[in-house]
Amino acid sequence: MKLKTILMGAAAVLAASQAFAASGRGADGQLNLIYWQAPSILNPYLSSGTKDLEASSITIEPLARFNPKGEMVPEIAAEIPTLKNGGISKDLKTITWHLKPGLKWSDGSAVTSADVVFTGQYCMDPQGGCAQLSHFQGVDKIEAVDPLTVKISFKAPQPDPYGPFVSYESPILQKKQFANCMGAKAPTCTSANFGPIGTGPFVVTSFKPNDVIEYKANPNYRDPNKPAFATVNFKGGGDAAAAARAVFQTGEYDYGWNLQLSPDVLKGMTGPGAKGHVVTAFGSLVERLEMNLTDASPSLPEGQRSTAAHPNPILSDKRVREALSMAIDRSLIVQVGYGSAGKPTCNLVPAPEAYASDNTACLKQDIPGAKKLLDEAGWKVGPDGIREKDGKKLVLTYQTSTNGVRQDTQSLIKQWWKEIGVDAQLKNVNGSVFFGGDPGSPDTFQKFYTDVEEYANNFSGTDPQTYMSMYTCDKAPRPATQWQGENINRYCNKHYDELVAELGKTAVPAKREALVKEMNDMLTKDSYTIIPIVWRGNNSGVANSIGGEAINPWDSELWNIQDWYRKK
Amino acid sequence: MLDAKPAAKPVKTLVEVRGLKMYFPIHTGLLRAHTGDVKAVDDVSFDILEGETLGLVGESGCGKSTCGRALIRLYDITSGSVKIDGTEIGHADQTRLRKMRPTMQMVFQDPQASLNPRMTVADIISEPLSEHTTLSKTDKLKRIYELMDAVGLNRRFANRYPHEFSGGQRQRIGIARALALNPKFIVCDEPIAALDVSIQAQVVNLLEQLQDEFGLTYLFISHDLSMVRHIADRIAVMYLGKMVELGPRDPVYDSPLHPYTEALLSAVPEPDPSLEKTRERIILKGDVPSPANPPKGCNFCTRCPKVMDICRQIEPEFREAEPGRFVACHLYDQNNKTTAGATGGTEADNEHFQQGETK
Amino acid sequence: MLNYTIRRLIISIPVLLLISLIIFLLLNLAPGDPLANQPLTIPPEVRQKMKEALGLGAPLYVRYLLWLKQFFWVEPLHAFDWCFGTHFSVGMQRILSWQFRSPVFDVIVQRMPQTLTVVGMSYVIGVLIAVPIGIVSAYRQYSWFDQIGTFISMIGYSVPTFFTGVLLIVVFSVDLGWFPSIYNTNLKVVDWQTFLLQVRQMAMPVFVLALYNAAQISRFMRSSMLDNLQQDYVRTARAKGMGERTVLLTHVLRNSLIPVVTVIALGVPTIFGGAIITEQVFKVNGLGQLLITAIYASDVPMVQTLTFIFAVLIVVFNLVADILYGVLDPRIRYD
Repeated sequence: MKLKTILMGAAAVLAASQAFAASGRGADGQLNLIYWQAPSILNPYLSSGTKDLEASSITIEPLARFNPKGEMVPEIAAEIPTLKNGGISKDLKTITWHLKPGLKWSDGSAVTSADVVFTGQYCMDPQGGCAQLSHFQGVDKIEAVDPLTVKISFKAPQPDPYGPFVSYESPILQKKQFANCMGAKAPTCTSANFGPIGTGPFVVTSFKPNDVIEYKANPNYRDPNKPAFATVNFKGGGDAAAAARAVFQTGEYDYGWNLQLSPDVLKGMTGPGAKGHVVTAFGSLVERLEMNLTDASPSLPEGQRSTAAHPNPILSDKRVREALSMAIDRSLIVQVGYGSAGKPTCNLVPAPEAYASDNTACLKQDIPGAKKLLDEAGWKVGPDGIREKDGKKLVLTYQTSTNGVRQDTQSLIKQWWKEIGVDAQLKNVNGSVFFGGDPGSPDTFQKFYTDVEEYANNFSGTDPQTYMSMYTCDKAPRPATQWQGENINRYCNKHYDELVAELGKTAVPAKREALVKEMNDMLTKDSYTIIPIVWRGNNSGVANSIGGEAINPWDSELWNIQDWYRKK
Repeated sequence: MLDAKPAAKPVKTLVEVRGLKMYFPIHTGLLRAHTGDVKAVDDVSFDILEGETLGLVGESGCGKSTCGRALIRLYDITSGSVKIDGTEIGHADQTRLRKMRPTMQMVFQDPQASLNPRMTVADIISEPLSEHTTLSKTDKLKRIYELMDAVGLNRRFANRYPHEFSGGQRQRIGIARALALNPKFIVCDEPIAALDVSIQAQVVNLLEQLQDEFGLTYLFISHDLSMVRHIADRIAVMYLGKMVELGPRDPVYDSPLHPYTEALLSAVPEPDPSLEKTRERIILKGDVPSPANPPKGCNFCTRCPKVMDICRQIEPEFREAEPGRFVACHLYDQNNKTTAGATGGTEADNEHFQQGETK
Repeated sequence: MLNYTIRRLIISIPVLLLISLIIFLLLNLAPGDPLANQPLTIPPEVRQKMKEALGLGAPLYVRYLLWLKQFFWVEPLHAFDWCFGTHFSVGMQRILSWQFRSPVFDVIVQRMPQTLTVVGMSYVIGVLIAVPIGIVSAYRQYSWFDQIGTFISMIGYSVPTFFTGVLLIVVFSVDLGWFPSIYNTNLKVVDWQTFLLQVRQMAMPVFVLALYNAAQISRFMRSSMLDNLQQDYVRTARAKGMGERTVLLTHVLRNSLIPVVTVIALGVPTIFGGAIITEQVFKVNGLGQLLITAIYASDVPMVQTLTFIFAVLIVVFNLVADILYGVLDPRIRYD
């Protein structure tokens, strides 16, 4: 009786939300999506490439995901567990999820807590090479309390227990389909990896890796009136310009993802008469300059270069780092290289809003101020216009990955630095080497064999805790760790380490937010260890005939594809 | 021999060439403008009598091969007239020419190159038969075997490809092919030049034998003067696109009129060693001028040992210097007048192309 | 001829083994990381586990031998099973792509149709255009036709396909809207209408590639014709009184085709290699696009297998070209 009431209630809510949409499931025919980086696999646990995650997100769903504001919304779960509603235990060591009752897989079988438990085991299998293992960090065990209840226990108090099964990176797999694909056998389950059974609005009908995916509306989707589209054609391949052309100019496609194009190209395509428009999602991706606090000089023996044993002779002085930041005109860089897909920023954590510090001082370029600071630091302008101190020239090496926009940024910055008497020696490294992490290569961003380097990074999900804890002393890449570690700058501050520890114990949102802001400021405006430049967004193109689309930086851009419809 | 018994059998002129010119245009520059001509054959006139062999000699590049090819219209000639067996073919179109082809044939210098490498002997010989006759398959085969017998090729080789034969055998195939349509006139374009000396005689003998058998008329082009002496009835000598001398074999060889002929013949080795010792070679100085830019006056004036001033001014006419002997040389200007007067031919001046025998 | 063929095939085995080793070493010693395109948010220890799951933990020679075994034993067995419904290969590890975690050969087989239709068709059309153009160009050397043909060949040969391709898309897809700019690999020709759709979507990529192929082959054809037109046997044929058509088509053409046919045969492996750029431009997503994306993703098993298949095809078609030469030209004997 009780179950029936809940069901009816749920149905009523769903019906209400349906009010604005088209007239029922499949009424709007085919939806055409183009992802120029073509999906390779539809199992997010075997690949965390965004293209693969996006393509799988319309088929398989997590317990809860993020909406465009960064707030959690339940998908398979009935509601979000919190401290308040008792879903999270007082000791922060367990979280209990309740599934929506009556939910069915696309093959018609019931979704139960066993599927959730299985998914956890699948990813945590030591031989599986699970790409989303970080979502399950600290998990002690996952148990099914009853068919609709899952309890996750952590080894230590977990102030942010929304790692497992939240967001499109960690969706629920069907136990029946993947039961024989555990561990080392994971890659042998090709048909499952290419067509996972899910609860999402669409079902895979055919998958051609790196080419095209076809979906049809899930007959067992929980809202009987959704999705509005009967089929989805998910095409991959080509390049960003071609995808933009197909959306804006020929109108062959309704949605084009990740249109990383130079601002003028994009402008040219979206002029009057264009068949679509650009939407931009600003997540947490920040293009930044990392200052190497250690000495990267090639004269040092291998193994000591860029290690804490030798502080950087120039950049150890905070005034120099600050001057370098002041000399940069961030809005010009945005204008030249990013257009609508970038905003100038001074923050390492620019979003979600609650975590963003009000740090805006760097936005205004201040060449005289920078010069003054360098003068104060004892760097005097030499005869060739380059500053010197104690016979040492103010020359910095500056590397980044090979990429047109980055090289433009490099030359702009080199020019500004020259104005203040700093000489930058530029270098660029092929992306697959730079980000490849090969401990044998001298050119990886972890080894950081230069004074300054530029790249972009972000955090997954909406919680910056892991992101902030990258900058503790023990995470500095060094020979002892095979040059692995995320503390690229070799920043080491005891107070910072304490704040990280504190954040790990704090669950109250307001307090967490304050901590993150403080840490953000320590790394940026207080120490200029990290000099953020551009808050980068992701451009996508949407046909003017598509309604209901809401771009989302925190989850799949297709997160609400069930609500999309074709305007009549 | 022919001139020995002119009255016994009135001999018909089979080939009549008048003012034959074959110029190859030179195109130069970006727009490939027509800037000049290579005068390969420049105003040549002569007759070939039925059943005779006319030997055409001259050094390499003098235009003798071009002359032979132009004669049977393998080229589109620049001007002039060619009458073969009474039919004017000088400017006939390809359709009419094709009908004439059975009458005139050619044997080529390089037997290897002149046979299509992808066709068997039978194909090569039968192709013209299919084109020009309506023989049945068996008749055609019969004819192929006949021809192979005639040129001394084993019938078993009918289905072999040209590359499987020796040089001499290949030339036999080429001859058989030329004979397929019962031609009257065959241009033999240096048919033995590419062959071994031992084979040369065989082929030449074969040609003579076939001439007797089928009553053929040959234009025998060669630079091998001894071989020409052996086979030809009359000799024509070319230099730089022009015919300088034409006459019966023995008088030409024994007492050449033109200084060039003289020099050319002095190069022929003498088989008799005692005579060979006394043989005086006339060594010509300088190179042959370019046929694109021949000298003013007589073409030979740049190298002639007996050159006179007039030679550099006026081009000598090709006229009958002695009965049946034609020469283009100012040395015989006087002689010619007297000879013409002596024979009393009123039309001699206008008809200096006519040959004594035909009258 | 048979002995020759067998001997050549036997010789090609060590050659191919050496090629496979070189490809393997080049790919494995080249910088690059199959996980480089995974987000930086993945912690290093997870990254390490993922690498091990790809089999990167084993030493180089073990990986090479494994690949050899998989390529020469497991995959043929699997193909046999697939054809005859047997079960010899059950439980054997096939060559798996690192990107797709699925058997490399399944994806290759899936990509074959579009590459063969688009690239193959363009090759056929290119040859069909090139041969007549080459014949006429040579026969009427320096005529207007020849000059225009030379000009077009030069354009087809020297203007890159990514330029002509994009130009065609801008004109015919964006401005005129005649042809789709994106190829639909799922289109199945079942009736007249889908056939027309297929023709429309093939039109531009086939045109671009056919222009390129035709430019190349027509030049070969032209020069080969010119070579033969000057041969004595052509004069012989004319002297025989054969019609100009017979002279040209039976005598000259048949002889001129010998080198051209071998050039065409040597070009066949490039069909299988796909046209990387053209496939990318028109989103045909055939073998060329498969190769290039695999290279970008450092998908070593995929790149290794594809390049090795191309090597095999090249060796085989070299042999085919030689044999064709022997068949077509009676002067060549291989005994």
